[in-house]
Amino acid sequence: MQGMAQFEQILWAVNVAVGIVLLALLIAREKCRAFPAFTGYLLVNLVQAVSFYFASRRWGYPSRNMWLFGWSSQAVVTFARALAVAELCRHMLARYQGVWALAWRVLCGSAMLIILYSGFAGWRRWELAFPALDRSLELSIAAVIVILLLFVRYYEVVADPVDRSLAVGFCLYSCFGAVNNTILDRYLYSYQELWIVLGMLSFLASLLLWTWALGKPQTVPRREETLLAPGIYESLAPQINLRLRTLNERLSQFWNSAAPRR
Amino acid sequence: MNFTMVIFIGLVGMLLVLLVWALRGPVKPWEPEAVPNGLREAGRRHVSFLPPIQQALGETDDDFLSRRAPSVLVRRVRRERRRIALTYLSALREDFDSLLRMATIIARLSPQVAAMQEFERIRLTLEFAWRYETIRMMLWAGLAPIPQLRGLSELLSALSIRMEAAVKEMEERAALAAKLASSLDGHDVDAAL
Repeated sequence: MQGMAQFEQILWAVNVAVGIVLLALLIAREKCRAFPAFTGYLLVNLVQAVSFYFASRRWGYPSRNMWLFGWSSQAVVTFARALAVAELCRHMLARYQGVWALAWRVLCGSAMLIILYSGFAGWRRWELAFPALDRSLELSIAAVIVILLLFVRYYEVVADPVDRSLAVGFCLYSCFGAVNNTILDRYLYSYQELWIVLGMLSFLASLLLWTWALGKPQTVPRREETLLAPGIYESLAPQINLRLRTLNERLSQFWNSAAPRR
Repeated sequence: MNFTMVIFIGLVGMLLVLLVWALRGPVKPWEPEAVPNGLREAGRRHVSFLPPIQQALGETDDDFLSRRAPSVLVRRVRRERRRIALTYLSALREDFDSLLRMATIIARLSPQVAAMQEFERIRLTLEFAWRYETIRMMLWAGLAPIPQLRGLSELLSALSIRMEAAVKEMEERAALAAKLASSLDGHDVDAAL
């Protein structure tokens, strides 16, 4: 137990140090103007880490006050992360007006559905309300990132490597957070120590990934796209779909009529 | 491990699989300069070989051979016919993919897209992929009638003709945009269009 507490403290210090390095890198590379919400998220994280340290000294650990402080500050951090993810989505797709208009609706709809579903599915006791809510948010953030990357792949959008690394970092961290909260939900107090350490380790992994991505030499700035006139899509899309539908019907007939001939 | 745990861990597992799939690079990276030529070629590479393929797959030759040739030769010819059919089917798939890719590029570069059209295209693509794979497996196993491939080819051919007209229109607009861009010194090109 003592060893775990020491490891937790070391990990806490490493996380704060890497967070500061990443913030410095964002400022030095002038990326904080491109990613204000991400910068804000890192700042909020640092503030939470430092305030957590002082709160634990004041209230002791574990205690009810620390539990409430921990989860309420986590709510702020998760909200900041959601904003950073929204910013990332916009950064990757907003150049393409049509696709972006469709994507943000799909992303918001999916996030809401997942929050509602996992909120209802995971809700068992009031004392687990915070972990259940946090897990819902983690899952929805992970799903949003995955759907975003599916959009990027489907529409063959050329994504900046930094954007991709930020997305992967957010997604892996959220996936791990969801699993971690699910295990906490099952084993509660016996898992609490390990839950904190694993959470910090996964965050450290994401911080290192982001630092590596932002530390790499900068690539050529992305070019702006010249969009087509609106009429082209409106005239073509229905016709393409009609042809594809007919093609599918023919394939279906082919399937139905297929029989051993020889 | 209870049911909730299984559901949530399963969901995360599914998200991770999708993440890995989404991160795999596109088959061929998109190069803006190569688009006009790429679009012009899209959907018509293999369909243009339709007449000789139809002749190769025609039933007349098969009937003639069945009556006149030794059974070893007939079997060999049927094996070859199946191989040709499989190759042709796969080539048609390439044509289908290139048309689909062009539709995707048009959607990406359009200031407005219709959600219904986009979702329908995704659904149709999934349906096509499923049916194509099924037919391919049937052909491979010798269960599918070969000449019916003709229907597939005709559809693709018709689609490629329409797309060619669309590409021409796009190229004209792109040329107009470039002209306007140079004359306006890059200001408010979209509005000018």
